[in-house]
Amino acid sequence: MVRKLFLTLAAAASALAISGAAWADITILVPSGSEGDGLRAAAADYAKMKGTKVETVQAPYANVFEQGANAGATKSGIFDIVLMDDPWIPFFAENGHLEDLTPFFKNAGMEGPDNDFLSKSLAICRNPYNSGPYVCLPYVGNAQMFFYDAAKYKEAGVDAPKTWDDVLKASKTLTEGGGGRYFGYVFRGGQGNPVVADFMPIFWSYGADLFNADRTKVTIDTPEGAAAMKMFMALRDVSPKGVESYNANEVGTALAAGTSASSINWPNWVATFEDPSQSKMVGKISYGPIPAGTKPGSSEIGHWTMGIMSASKNKQEAFDFMLWATSPEQIKISAERGNPPVRASVFTDPELTKQEKFRHYPVLMEAIQASTPRPRHPKWPEIENAFGIELSKAVAGTITPEEALKNAQAAVEQITGLK
Amino acid sequence: MLKSANDGTLTAQSPPGGPLERWAERHLRYLMLAPTVLILLALTIFPSLYMFYAAVHKISPNPDLPWEFVGPGNFARLLSDAQFHVALRNTVVFTVVAVAVEFLLGLGLALLLDKFIRRLTFLKTVLMIPMMLPPIAVAITWKLIYEPQFGVLNEIMYRLGLPLQAWAGDVNLAMFSIIVADVWQWTPFIFLLMLAGLASLPVEPYEAAALDGASSWRQFWDLTLPFLKPVIAIALLLRVMDALRLFDLVFILTGGGPADRTKVLSLYIYQVAYRFADPGYAAAISLFVLFVTIILSTWFMKRMRLAD
Repeated sequence: MVRKLFLTLAAAASALAISGAAWADITILVPSGSEGDGLRAAAADYAKMKGTKVETVQAPYANVFEQGANAGATKSGIFDIVLMDDPWIPFFAENGHLEDLTPFFKNAGMEGPDNDFLSKSLAICRNPYNSGPYVCLPYVGNAQMFFYDAAKYKEAGVDAPKTWDDVLKASKTLTEGGGGRYFGYVFRGGQGNPVVADFMPIFWSYGADLFNADRTKVTIDTPEGAAAMKMFMALRDVSPKGVESYNANEVGTALAAGTSASSINWPNWVATFEDPSQSKMVGKISYGPIPAGTKPGSSEIGHWTMGIMSASKNKQEAFDFMLWATSPEQIKISAERGNPPVRASVFTDPELTKQEKFRHYPVLMEAIQASTPRPRHPKWPEIENAFGIELSKAVAGTITPEEALKNAQAAVEQITGLK
Repeated sequence: MLKSANDGTLTAQSPPGGPLERWAERHLRYLMLAPTVLILLALTIFPSLYMFYAAVHKISPNPDLPWEFVGPGNFARLLSDAQFHVALRNTVVFTVVAVAVEFLLGLGLALLLDKFIRRLTFLKTVLMIPMMLPPIAVAITWKLIYEPQFGVLNEIMYRLGLPLQAWAGDVNLAMFSIIVADVWQWTPFIFLLMLAGLASLPVEPYEAAALDGASSWRQFWDLTLPFLKPVIAIALLLRVMDALRLFDLVFILTGGGPADRTKVLSLYIYQVAYRFADPGYAAAISLFVLFVTIILSTWFMKRMRLAD
């Protein structure tokens, strides 16, 4: 009897698990980490308020792309909304996985998103960039900033680093005096996305870019690229041993534990650094704009954006949720939950800016407005992988920086078919 | 059906019941096989054929675009794909070194502990723990051990006054670090198989050899190894097939880096299929791995005369 009951319950539980997503009014695919946690919490609030069932499926960063791409390619309709990292937008949009939001705005009596959103936050949600129709709405306003321990930098003779030369000077002094246990700089040197993300701001600040302006030529192996690479290698030499395998967690831990003085980092780490239960550096880390090279510094933008999957069967419900979740009130709640905002009114809200944990908001808002998107190309994941392999080899010292640039140029030319 | 007649002779008679029952009786052997064949078709034959079909097509991530037939094009790409060559080389290095070390350690430990461990069930259970752990847990444990700034290994190095290492993050140590973790996890498997093999050895040949004055080494070389040959062959075959599919340790510990030093075929197939959204080419690489594995296993089984 008990065995029979157990088997019936097991069968029912399996059936529920398999079809769980299908029972929801809206199903959202989100990444793990603070971005996904924030949207999950918002979805729970929405479900309570509207009496609808909102299901959130959470996956690690790379798996969100894979699951979204798979759902799009198979037209499964399993996800209604996907929370995307902005460089994925061209892939999703140009392969027909994302819904054009124009008709939904029209139905709602709107021309498009309101002007309270930062212009750079909106520009990435259009495909092509800043000119095409909206295919998503911005939710998390990530853009890189420069994080540094101001007291240590001062000890090393640099007040506030304005250029990469300042960073190198302070870092060299700090690493030399660190006895192999303290370092002036740290970065994500792990192969692929990590090393590319931490190299791009340096690359841009020396006037280099992956493509020329009209996207007809690959421009990695140039004198500007070489200058950026030279600085990158110099920074590697003052970073901890093993930095060639570092990702966000290792860099975050090094800063929070006070074993490295500075790095490029993302704003969602601020909450960790200002939390006494996770950080030895509460109140000690300063947040500045990306330093300049031969050109002004520019952050890499890394917004998390919500798009509706073309195969969704609940598109209107999904759009209504997105509109609600990106309203000023909800973006403010999201900010309080630790996610950087995408609206000017939230960035300048005195209720937030008077709090110590939001002291980086003016710098972040400026960083977003001065940011650069990663090259908008449907083959970006493959380009990033190829570029990341060569950068990783250079960081590990298995090839020279010159060879890395030359190889990366050839690899990206082959992937894109450009010369 | 055979039935005894009144005169004692056996005569054939059709089975009792309706036509359906008679049909079922006639085809019973096929009906008994049907579930197995259906499962085999659904789980092995169909996916394999589908993979082959995918391997000769260029598949766009856009579902509205048709699959483009490219014939052997995806296989031809294998010849010029530098990343594939790197992954192939790394896979071979990993498989040869890891399996060899695991085999030597497993056999050595089994020979050393054979006499003692038979009574120590608890020790056997402890030795089995690494291979009972989920691979992801093993990978995360070793990631924490290897962590350059806070890992236990560098803490020991620091306290001993030795230079700190980046371990999985160092181009020269990354593959070594992966192999060490794999050896830690899978040596007990070889050890247990060898132990079982040693336990089943006949006693008489050893007694005869001892009477003839054969040394321990001679006994090991001329008796133990030949007797253990089938067990060794099975152990090596299983480990080689598993090592060729290595994924989890590399995915967690290094992601294929640094500088592509630990990129193995399974990781590359995963990247091509899911990161670069090129399932046709991923299917071609998978078929290549399948082909190599089948050839290797067949050759190995013939060589070790396992097929008999």
